[in-house]
Amino acid sequence: MSDPAGRGLETRSLTVRYGGLVANSEVSISVRPGQVVGLIGPNGAGKTTFVDAVTGFTRCEGEILLDGVRIDALAPHLRRGSGLSRTWQSGELFGNLSVAENLLAAARKSGWATVVRDLFGRRRAGAGRDVVDSALAVVGLEDVADTLARDLTLGQQKLVGVARALAGGCEVLLLDEPAAGLDSMESQAFAARVRSIAEGNGSGQGPGILLIDHDMSLVLGVCDVVNVLEFGKLIFSGTPAEARTDPTVVAAYLGAPVEASHA
Amino acid sequence: MQTYLQFAVLGLGLGAIYIGLGTGLLLVHRATGIINFAQGAMAMWGAYVFAQLRLDGTLMLPIGSIDLGRRPTVAVAALIGLVTAVLLGLVAHYLVFRPVRNAPVLAQVVVSVALMITIQALVVLRFGPNNIKVDSILPEGSWSLAGIELSSREILMTLIMAALSAVVWAYMRFTRAGVATRAASENERAAVLMGFSPDRLAAVAQVIASVLGTVAVTLGSALTGLNPENYTLLVVPALAVLLVARMESIGIVVVAAIVLGAFQSIIGLLVTKPWWPVWAQSGFDQIIPFAVVMVILFVLGRRLPSRGSLQTVRLPDVVIPRLRLVPAVVLAVVGVAALALTSGSYRFGITTSIIVMLLALSYVVLTGYLGQISLAQGAFAGAAGFTLSKVTSNLGVPFPLSVILCGLVASALGMLVALPAFRIRGAQLAIVTIAAALAIERFVFNNYSLTPPEGNPIAAATLFGINLSVREGRDLSRLSFSLMVLVIAALLVWMFIRLASGDTGRAFLAVRANERAAASSGINVRMTKLIGFGISAFIAGIAGCLIGLSRGQLSAESFTVFAGLQVLAVAYLGGITSVGGAMVAGVLGPLGIVYVLLRGVFDLGAYYPLISGLGLILTAILNPVGVAGATREQVAWVRRRLSRGGTAEPPPVADATPKPKEPSHV
Amino acid sequence: MPDDVLLETRDLAAGYNGVPAVRGLTLSVGPGEVVALLGPNGAGKTTSLLAMVGLVAPLAGEVRVRGEPLGRRKPHQIARVGVLLVPDDRGIFFGLTVREHLRLAGRKNDPSREAQVLDSFPVLRGLDGRKAGLMSGGEQQMLAIAKALLARPKVLIIDEMSLGLAPKIVQEMLPAIRDLARADGIGVVLVEQHIELALSIADRGVILNHGRVVLRGAASDLLRDRHLVEAAYFGAEEFASENDDKTLAV
Repeated sequence: MSDPAGRGLETRSLTVRYGGLVANSEVSISVRPGQVVGLIGPNGAGKTTFVDAVTGFTRCEGEILLDGVRIDALAPHLRRGSGLSRTWQSGELFGNLSVAENLLAAARKSGWATVVRDLFGRRRAGAGRDVVDSALAVVGLEDVADTLARDLTLGQQKLVGVARALAGGCEVLLLDEPAAGLDSMESQAFAARVRSIAEGNGSGQGPGILLIDHDMSLVLGVCDVVNVLEFGKLIFSGTPAEARTDPTVVAAYLGAPVEASHA
Repeated sequence: MQTYLQFAVLGLGLGAIYIGLGTGLLLVHRATGIINFAQGAMAMWGAYVFAQLRLDGTLMLPIGSIDLGRRPTVAVAALIGLVTAVLLGLVAHYLVFRPVRNAPVLAQVVVSVALMITIQALVVLRFGPNNIKVDSILPEGSWSLAGIELSSREILMTLIMAALSAVVWAYMRFTRAGVATRAASENERAAVLMGFSPDRLAAVAQVIASVLGTVAVTLGSALTGLNPENYTLLVVPALAVLLVARMESIGIVVVAAIVLGAFQSIIGLLVTKPWWPVWAQSGFDQIIPFAVVMVILFVLGRRLPSRGSLQTVRLPDVVIPRLRLVPAVVLAVVGVAALALTSGSYRFGITTSIIVMLLALSYVVLTGYLGQISLAQGAFAGAAGFTLSKVTSNLGVPFPLSVILCGLVASALGMLVALPAFRIRGAQLAIVTIAAALAIERFVFNNYSLTPPEGNPIAAATLFGINLSVREGRDLSRLSFSLMVLVIAALLVWMFIRLASGDTGRAFLAVRANERAAASSGINVRMTKLIGFGISAFIAGIAGCLIGLSRGQLSAESFTVFAGLQVLAVAYLGGITSVGGAMVAGVLGPLGIVYVLLRGVFDLGAYYPLISGLGLILTAILNPVGVAGATREQVAWVRRRLSRGGTAEPPPVADATPKPKEPSHV
Repeated sequence: MPDDVLLETRDLAAGYNGVPAVRGLTLSVGPGEVVALLGPNGAGKTTSLLAMVGLVAPLAGEVRVRGEPLGRRKPHQIARVGVLLVPDDRGIFFGLTVREHLRLAGRKNDPSREAQVLDSFPVLRGLDGRKAGLMSGGEQQMLAIAKALLARPKVLIIDEMSLGLAPKIVQEMLPAIRDLARADGIGVVLVEQHIELALSIADRGVILNHGRVVLRGAASDLLRDRHLVEAAYFGAEEFASENDDKTLAV
C-alpha cells in the first residue's frame, strides 16, 4: 500500500456513523494515478457512503489524502477543485442544460470575478468548447453535445456523468455504479473506456479510478485491485483473480451455502 | 407588574388565533407537504360571512348574495360561517392544492400565495376595504385573580382554541385516518402501498384546518374588527409558531402561540414607556416573529422534517438568452414610440410597466435561474427607495450615483436574507422571506419616525443639466423621465442577458437543477446563492428607486407585502424563466398599462387584484412555463412545422413524467 | 390451472422515461407458492415489483390479478385488491408505534388474525408501544412483514428483505413467511440478494440480468445447479471461458 510518492487518493481508517449505525468502519484504501481500483460488496455494504464521505457529502472520521495532502476539512467543491472528482449513482446531471453546458458548468469557474468578466469581458464564440469536445470524446458521445441532458438514455446519462467529472481535469475519479442499468453490450464498451481513461487515452498516465459496481464481470475484468466491503468493513483487498476464488467474497455476494439444519 | 399581567392576558386573544392558524398549518403540512400561506385568508372568509349575516342578514357568496330577510341569531350565523369554511376547505383542496401535489415546491408556494391574493381581493370586492365590527360570540367580562382584573374573553378564547387543538391532536393520535395521515407524511409511498389514498386524507385535513382557522378568526375579530389585510397576514406569526413546533407537535403549537401572543402584547406595552427608543416604537412586535423564524431555521436548519411525495414535476425550462441586435432595436423603437405617442396616465402606465418588468426580472434571476424562492422582493425595492429618499434629500448625492448606491444597499440586504438560504430552501425560504418582508414593512416603511405620514420626499433627478423629473406644472408624466426609465431598464436587461448567457447563468442553472451535483462539479453553491440574491435584489432595488422617483416621494403603500406578492403573481404569470416573461409581467403588472386600460376603458380596475390572483392559480396549475414560455413553445412548433412541411408533432406540453426513482442504499 | 394463478405478468416491460429497465417478463404465482425473483443489482427486479403494484406504469404487457387485468388502477386501489408490496425501505413509519402500525394494517378489528400473525413474529408482542424508529433492523423488518400479513393479502411481494440485516435474521424469518403463505394460500414474490436463502424456501426461481429473464426453474434444480446461477450473475462471458461444456438456459 505504501507508495513513496504518495500520489493519488488515500483514506486512512475512514469511519462513518449514522446515529448508532456504523456505515463505514476503518476503511483504508488507496487509488494511484493510472490505476483502476474496484470497490464492490452487497447492497447496503456502505459503498456509496464511502464515496460520499471521501468527496465531502457525508461527515466522517479518519484521514483523506489527495497527493499526500489532507483534504478532509475541505468543502465538496474545493475537493473537486483540488482534483478529486466523482459521478453519482443516479446520474444527477443538470437535466435542464445541454450536455455541453453540463460539462462547461464543471469546467468553468464561477464567482464574483466571473460576474465581472461575464458583464464586461470579451466573449469568444465557443469558449471552452475544446474542453467539452475532448471530455465527450473520451466517452464517445461527441454527437450529443447539444442534446438536453434529460433527453438522453440512461446509459448515455451515465457516460455524460463521467465526462462531466473528467471535464477540466482530475487526479482521481470515483465512479459510483456507472454501469447499473446498462445492458451487457454497453457495459463491455464502458469497461474498455474506463481502462482507456486510466491510461490517459494513449497520452501516458491518466487519473486513478475507483470503480464501484455490481456488475461483477465489469469490475473483475477491468480493475487492477479489488476491494470488497461487507457491513461497512473492508473484508478483502487483492487482485481480481484472487477475488474470484476467495470464499469470503463469494459468500458476501451470493450468501454462504445454507446449512441443512437451517433450511 | 399588574399591568404586565393584564397585557399578557390581552395578548391571549392573538395567541388563540395563532393556535387556530398554526394547528391548521401543521395539519395541512403533514397531510400534503404544502405550507399554506393562504391559511389566514381562508379563515377570514368564514368570519366575514358570519359578520355580514349579523350585520344585515345578507349571506354573501363569492358571486351574488342571498338576503335572509332578517338577521339570524349568533348560533345560526356561526353555523353558516362554519359550513362556508368546510366548503372553502374542499374547494381549496380539489381545485387548488390537489392539482399541484406533485409539482415543484415553487409551484406549491406560488399557488398558495395566489389563493391568498385571490381571497383577499375577493374580500375587498365583496365586503369592502374598511374595517368592520364583528359581533362577539363570547361574553365580555373580567375575572379577578389575586386582586387583578383580567379580561375573561381572551382567556375563554384561548381555552376554546386549545380544546379544539386537543381534538385535532386526538384525531391524529387515535383515529385510523389520523394515524394514516401521520404515516403518509413520513412515507407516502408506504402508506399508498397499504391502501390509503393520500388525496382523501388531504381533503379531510384541509377541511379541519379551514374550520379551525375560521373559528379562531371569528372569535378574534370581535376584539379587533375585520379588515382584508390583518388576518391574511397573521399567517406569518402562525408560521413562526409552526416552525417552533418543528412542524410536528400540536402541543408546542399551542404553547408557542400563547407565549408569542402574550409577548407581542407586552411589547406593545413596553414601547409606550419613556425609556423605549422612539425610532423603535412602531412595528417592533412584528420583528419578533421574524426573529423567531430566523433563529429556529438557523438552529434546526436541515433537521426540520420535510415531506416528500411520490413524484416530482420539474420546474419550467430555461432557454439561454442571446443578445441579438434586431430584436433589441425593434424593442427599443417600440418602447420609445409607445412613450412618445402617449401622454398622461397612459404614458405613466407604460412607464410603470417598464418598472414592474424590472421587478419581475429580479424574480427571473432568483427563482427562474437559481431556483430560490423569495417573497421579499418588494421589500428590497422599498429599502432602496427609502435609502434614495435619505441620500438625495439629506446627503445630496447626485443622480446616477444615488440610484446605483441604493441598488447596492438593496443588494446587501438581499445577501443578508440569502444567509438562511445556505441551510434551507423551498417553502421554508418562502417563510423566512415573507417574515422579513413583513418586518421591514412594519418596522421601516410604516414607522413614523423613519417614514413620516406625508412620505419621504425624493429629489427629482437631473443629469448634465437635463431635468428628469416625472412631473412639471400640469404635465404629470414627462417624456424625459419615461425615457430615462427605459434606458435604465435596457441597461439592466443587457446586464441580465450578459450574465445569463455567461458562466454565471450556467452556474445558477446548475445549482437550480441539483445542488449536490453542482458542488461535486466544483461550483461553490453558497457563493452562487449569495451572488444570485445580490444581483436579484440589486435589480429590485433599482426598480424601487424608479418607483420612488416616479412618485416624487416614497410612500409605504408602494412596497407592502401584498404589492410584492402581486408582482410575484404577474412574474410567474408572464413566465418566471425569461426576459420575455418579465416583459409580459410588466405589461400585466399592478398599475401597468393593462391595469390603466382596465380602469380607463372598461372601468374594471377594482377587479384587477382578483383577476391577477385567479390568473396566477390557473398558471401555476395548468401552465407552469407562463405566457412567454407557452408562446415560445407555440412558435417553436410552428417553425418545426414549416421546416418539415407539415409533419410536425403537436407542441410539447409541460411534461409530468416521473423522474427515475433509483432506490438509494446506504 | 388459470384458477390457481393469483398474480401474473404477461410480457411485461417497465421503466422510466420510456426506457425499459425490464422487458418481456412473464411470471405467475399461485396460492401458497413462493417465487424468488433473483439477479444482480440493476437487473430490473425492483422495477418489476413496482410495476406489479402500479407504482411504475407498464410500457408494454400487463399485470393480472386472478385473471383480471389491473389496467390503470392506482397503487392504493391495487393494495386494496390484495396485492401488497413490502418495499426495500421496509415501508414502515419511524414515528409510529408497533400498535399504530397494526392498527393501520388491519382493515377491520380482527384479533384472531392479529394473534395468528404475532405468533409467527413473537418478538413484536413485547414491543407494542415502541416507535418503529427505535427498533433494530430485524425487528423493523418483522414489523413490515407482520403488518402486510395482517391485512390478509392475496399476494405478498417482498423486496430485498435482507438489506442491512444479518443473514441469521433472514434465515429465521423466511421459513416463517413461507409457512404462513402455505397456511393461508398467499402467493409470495420474493426479491432477494441472498440467493441460497431465497431458493431454500422458494418453490420456483426466476433470474433476471440486464432487464431480461436469463434463467428460470424449480428452486431445487437451481440450488443443485449452482454454477448455472453464478454464471447468470457474473456474466455469461466469464462462464463460457471457464466452463466451455455448459450452456445457459435462457
